[in-house]
Amino acid sequence: MIKIDHLTKRYANTVAVDDLDFEVKPGVVTGFLGPNGSGKSTTMRIILGLDHPSKGQATINGRRYADLTSPLHEVGALLDAKAVHPGRTARNHLRALAASNQITKSRVDDVLEFVGISSVANKKVGNFSLGMSQRLGIAGALLGDPGVLLFDEPVNGLDPEGIRWIRDFFRTLANEGRTVFVSSHLMSEMAVSADQIIVIGRGKFITSGSVDDLTKTAEGTVLVRGSDHAKLTTILAAQHAVVHDSNENGLTVGGLTSDQIGQIAFDAGVTLFELTPQRASLEEVFMDLTADSLEFGAQRPTPGAVP
Amino acid sequence: MNGESTLSGSTRAEWIKFRTVRSSTWGVFTTVVLMIGLGALFAVLTRTHWTQLSPLRVATFDPVSNSIGGILLAQFAVGVIGAMFITSEFTSGSIRTTLTAVPNRARLLASKMVVLLVTMLLVGEFVCFTAFLIGQRIYLGVVPTASLTNGTVLRSVVLAGIYLAFLTLIGFALGVIVRQSAATISIYVGLLLIVPLIVFFLPQSWQNDIQRFEPSSLGAAMESPLAQSNSFGAWSATLVLLIYVVVLLAVAFTLFQRRDAGANT
Repeated sequence: MIKIDHLTKRYANTVAVDDLDFEVKPGVVTGFLGPNGSGKSTTMRIILGLDHPSKGQATINGRRYADLTSPLHEVGALLDAKAVHPGRTARNHLRALAASNQITKSRVDDVLEFVGISSVANKKVGNFSLGMSQRLGIAGALLGDPGVLLFDEPVNGLDPEGIRWIRDFFRTLANEGRTVFVSSHLMSEMAVSADQIIVIGRGKFITSGSVDDLTKTAEGTVLVRGSDHAKLTTILAAQHAVVHDSNENGLTVGGLTSDQIGQIAFDAGVTLFELTPQRASLEEVFMDLTADSLEFGAQRPTPGAVP
Repeated sequence: MNGESTLSGSTRAEWIKFRTVRSSTWGVFTTVVLMIGLGALFAVLTRTHWTQLSPLRVATFDPVSNSIGGILLAQFAVGVIGAMFITSEFTSGSIRTTLTAVPNRARLLASKMVVLLVTMLLVGEFVCFTAFLIGQRIYLGVVPTASLTNGTVLRSVVLAGIYLAFLTLIGFALGVIVRQSAATISIYVGLLLIVPLIVFFLPQSWQNDIQRFEPSSLGAAMESPLAQSNSFGAWSATLVLLIYVVVLLAVAFTLFQRRDAGANT
């Protein structure tokens, strides 16, 4: 279990992490979601004791990372797959890691085998593709058979087969009762690989919950098609509904449930032909939630807008 | 396999890391070649030109420092070994992986230091003794030789090896402080070459006071059985150099503890 306790990280003139407070529980895959530059990596580095927090703390099973006696046995992490000395072979890299935590050589061979890079174990890491480096990083994270695992943007650079492999891998780790904390800036990826999601933007907590909860709580709209659209628009507006879009296909109404709209239309004597709740996709929810917190916003590409 | 992170474990890990990268193996190889090769070359040149040397040169000739004269260049090689052992971790980002395995930063630096000190003491003593013995063999019959049975001569050769090990640690400490390979090596070379050059242009009275504190002057005092003019004695020079090493390492440890290791440098 990972506990983030009112964590703040300030750099010279920016606040990278702003009073974050949440828990990551064992047995599920928890997605850590936010646009690029929202403070995900900084939070992960603080969890691992690499960066010092300005305020608050992060603990793993109740202890700060620096106080862990068997760090690789308790936590496995893959932050940056390329953060390996390029001149060392994969096996020697893992052997050194293993030696520091008194892990046997045979375990090194086991994890190399598991991630499928045994055949290149004696090759220099500098020649590895990003996908191979990711696998080496995963091997390193698994060395000590830890109960808590952290992955920072793990699907970056993986081919579709690799992405599928890693999703199954996270699922297996969680099913074994481990804590799995995975960051991503891709909502679509988290929608399929995570059970719980924590959303942050500009270092601030935005929301958390299960994938289902997040799409449910998001403000949905209702598509309404009836006999008199002009009259419907007027009476719905009078009930404080927001009519987004009105054309011959119907009205897109926000702020009221389909039940309420049906009742209002019935009371006003308007016949309804269609009344469909529109469920927001997780992607839309994410865009909505983080719209105000994008560090580098780009203009929407429309025809003629490209300079 | 109890999985604990200990000093002996991290020291073994650092030893694996030291011997599995080229910067260290080539550094050691270069040190050996420079010490033994250059030492032999100096000895041969001395032997062939011996009769043409001025009486002053003959009178002040020192068979010890001449035979281990390769130290003039080897001192740069060992500094690079020490510096690269830590700067390569910063530039590749592997310091983050290292610190997740060994979160105790003082322990990590201590492990690296032990590996460097032990390895480079062995290498330093080996190259100094070998160069010395080869040199005496070349001088034999023409140039006056020195013998290790003479306590002062033995002291000089031993201290020359220690000088190389200490300079490795200076390179290492600078590497921890500066974190970038090129910048660290530039500063290290500057310390050994440029500082003496600047001091050379200072008024004579200042020169006398400052010169003997330069690392290269300390080295000369350590490795020569003859008393150097305007210089520390061999043991005092060793002590002063040791103080440099300790102070630089103290600064390095403090900064390493305090800084974030996460962001790329």
